[in-house]
Amino acid sequence: MKLLHKTLLSGLLVVAIFAIYAAAQAKPKTGLSLSEKVQNLVEMNMKKPLLRFNGPKFREYVKSAPRNYSMIVMLTALAPSRQCQICRHAHDEFAIVANSYRFSSTYSNKLFFAMVDFDDGSEVFQLLRLNTAPVFMHFPAKGKPKGADTMDIHRVGFAADSIAKFVAERTDITIRIFRPPNYSGTVAMITLVALVGSFLYIRRNNLEFLYNKNLWGAIAVFFCFAMISGQMWNHIRGPPLVHKSQNGGVAYIHGSSQGQLVVETYIVMFLNAMIVLGMILLIESGTPKSHNKNRIMAMTGLVLLTVFFSFLLSVFRSKAQGYPYSFLFK
Amino acid sequence: MTLDVGGVARGLLTWEKQEHLVKLAILILAAVLSFATRLFSVLRFESVIHEFDPYFNYRTTRFLAEQGFYKFHNWFDDRAWYPLGRIIGGTIYPGLMLTSAALYRLMWLLNVTIDIRNVCVFLAPFFSSLTTLVTYALTKEIHSTGAGLVAAALISIVPGYISRSVAGSYDNEGIAIFCMLFTYYLWIKAVKTGTIFWSDHALGTFGLCQIHAFVDYLRSRIPKDHFDLLFKTLVSSVLTVLFVVGTLLTLTGKVSPWTGRFYSLLDPSYAKNHIPIIASVSEHQPTSWSSFYFDLQILVFLFPAGLYFCFSKLTDSNIFIILYGVTSIYFAGVMVRLMLVLAPVMCVLSGIAISHLLAKYIKSVDAGGSAKQGVESKRQHKKLEQQTGGVKSEVAIGFVGVITLMLIVYTLHCTWVTSEAYSSPSIVLSARSHDGGRIIFDDFREAYYWLQMNTPEDARIMSWWDYGYQITAMANRTILVDNNTWNNTHISRVGQAMASSEEKAYEIMRELDVDYVLVIFGGLTGYSSDDINKFLWMVRIGGSTDRGAHIREKDYYAANGEFRVDKEGSPTLLNCLMYKMCYYRFGQMYTEGGKAQGYDRVRAAEIGNKDFELDVLEEAYTTEHWLVRIYKVKDLPNRGV
Repeated sequence: MKLLHKTLLSGLLVVAIFAIYAAAQAKPKTGLSLSEKVQNLVEMNMKKPLLRFNGPKFREYVKSAPRNYSMIVMLTALAPSRQCQICRHAHDEFAIVANSYRFSSTYSNKLFFAMVDFDDGSEVFQLLRLNTAPVFMHFPAKGKPKGADTMDIHRVGFAADSIAKFVAERTDITIRIFRPPNYSGTVAMITLVALVGSFLYIRRNNLEFLYNKNLWGAIAVFFCFAMISGQMWNHIRGPPLVHKSQNGGVAYIHGSSQGQLVVETYIVMFLNAMIVLGMILLIESGTPKSHNKNRIMAMTGLVLLTVFFSFLLSVFRSKAQGYPYSFLFK
Repeated sequence: MTLDVGGVARGLLTWEKQEHLVKLAILILAAVLSFATRLFSVLRFESVIHEFDPYFNYRTTRFLAEQGFYKFHNWFDDRAWYPLGRIIGGTIYPGLMLTSAALYRLMWLLNVTIDIRNVCVFLAPFFSSLTTLVTYALTKEIHSTGAGLVAAALISIVPGYISRSVAGSYDNEGIAIFCMLFTYYLWIKAVKTGTIFWSDHALGTFGLCQIHAFVDYLRSRIPKDHFDLLFKTLVSSVLTVLFVVGTLLTLTGKVSPWTGRFYSLLDPSYAKNHIPIIASVSEHQPTSWSSFYFDLQILVFLFPAGLYFCFSKLTDSNIFIILYGVTSIYFAGVMVRLMLVLAPVMCVLSGIAISHLLAKYIKSVDAGGSAKQGVESKRQHKKLEQQTGGVKSEVAIGFVGVITLMLIVYTLHCTWVTSEAYSSPSIVLSARSHDGGRIIFDDFREAYYWLQMNTPEDARIMSWWDYGYQITAMANRTILVDNNTWNNTHISRVGQAMASSEEKAYEIMRELDVDYVLVIFGGLTGYSSDDINKFLWMVRIGGSTDRGAHIREKDYYAANGEFRVDKEGSPTLLNCLMYKMCYYRFGQMYTEGGKAQGYDRVRAAEIGNKDFELDVLEEAYTTEHWLVRIYKVKDLPNRGV
């Protein structure tokens, strides 16, 4: 009796295990039903407004057939080793859109935002035959994405507003972009003011250095060099440090007058600084000192002035097509 | 020129008289030069007004000169923005117009019967001559006569200033720089002499000066500790009140001084992150080093040297010019167009640097060479011996040679830049032919005169807004939209008409009472800023309002997402009104050797829709090089035909 009981129990156990195993096996084959998918997506969306998919998940929720929801997918490569600068910006903008959508009144289970990183699911890139990143694609509820379902970021850019416009065009769901206010600038400003203030407070008994005209002069002249060599341009446009030139070498100087490279601006700053140094040497050589020293100073100044002026001319000549003038060097 | 500056110091027996003579000669030469170097476009083409906005200024000036100030003040313009019209008299700043109208009246009073157009064309060069003189005066106050003369010579040809003041560019910038420098001059004069007379003139810009004078007055009247207390209370209370009022007004939205453009000056990356429309305008771009160099050449390194010299000898006026220089170089770095403000101070400081160096070394050239007799007064001679201690005359000669060479290169550079880059009026185009000669395309004026001569007085012309000012000023016809883009809906309506099919467009044109349509087409000549290249903006703006909801930008792209006019192009594009007007009869034209008929030289493609007739329009006029095409809108067909 007892034995029978035991066998029956173990038999049941085995059956149960088999059943579970079979169920576990069957699950990826038949796929989730539509309602399960939607429920999973909504649950995931509760935690994160922007879903992160890998290859299998992408196939499950985006590619496979029964769907009644649209998907906006960003395909990107965020790993630092991939060196994709704009992917980071694009990701931030995309996250803003996803966030704005998630917490807006138009939120529903008809539209989800997701992203696939190249390092998580390179097979997705192969599947879609993509070799660039970032790409924004719309997967409609029915049918396959058409040409117009890929956002043309070369034309419209990937600012949050253009993404929202793209979404509205494709899915008729309008998203009002809400940007989280950025306090980093304010915080930095307050820290700076506090630092300067405390510094002045500590040195309050000895503020003579504020009247030191050499200090101010050096600051002003350096500021001029920075501006003249286009550091502000660098700050706003963020050009690369150097270029690869056509014949494989490294180009330090941008070929046209429309752009500039970071190294190039330092070179120009150096050239300008040398010319000014030459002039200052020339003028300072008059102060009463030993004859020899004065002479050396004046000679050095003159040589600096001439040589670096010619350098500057040739650098400019290499940028501006058809510029006719040069001096000493071609 | 530079040697003359040295000559001032050299002098002969009638030292002062000679100095005056040389000084005057240099100044007059610089003033004449600054006028003459801006005349490239007048010599090459004709005395024409340039570009777009100056045409509006010209038209209003003509109205003011002909009708008088009161009529001008009450002027309601029914020639623009049909059927809305535009109030002009009360809404524009009339400073520029009043100046030229006053000059015009003055000339007539003196029996110089000059045309008002020529007054407008030559106003900017005239004021830059005056700027040269003012720069001299300003630099003289700050530093010395020699520096003033060099600065005047430098500013007369500096490209950063020429870019906005060539003959024909009739805009506010032309006289603004003169006014600005003149105010600075008066202010510095006031600070130096301490009389309120000068500062009265500089009021407005420098209200602070008066306050300062008042404080000084108070200080002399009351004892010190009382004064200190009063001063502190006053300053702190004024600051507090200003702050509170400012905050209140900003919060309640009464004033909003923090517009995007302003922000982008303080935080340069603001525009890039938040307002792409401001960032997209080419004038608002940051300045790369090559455009600094292009516009200022040797001044870019003379300027820091000048700053250094100013710092080594600080005075009140030096501090002023240092502040002006440093702030303006920051702003010029953020926006290209503010180069205009930077250029004068660059010239002033560079003038100081050059004259500083020259004055020193010219003397040692003399001292080292056969010492000229009676050259210096005794005191100067002593100082000179002390100064030039160890510097041999060879070095001095070398230095003077190098500086002269630099100045020569500067002159060549400026002339080259002016001639190549800043002297095209954009209303008359020129191109180089194969043999190197110049070909002139004068199609714009041809078309505008045709309109004036051949259309009824009250005809309404539809064109894209870029050409609005030119049509009203030159053809004197009513237009729908112009460069004062105040009504976006109206512009959008025009964009919709251009982007729709013929039938749809006809409805819109009937609704707007259009008689003629004018398009700019560059396909034959290769003029790239024509209406087809601007067309996407028409589509975008046209589709941006409710009534243009049927216009979607993506309908105008080919299947692969490109904008193309050949056979691959989208059918919507190939059948829209703009396309048909531009390419009507173009399919039969041979434009370039070895290419098929109807080859568009701008888009480098053979057009996709060649044989079509226009149903609702008829071709009225096409200019010599097909740059401008004018169509007449047909009347409604008779009933039952």
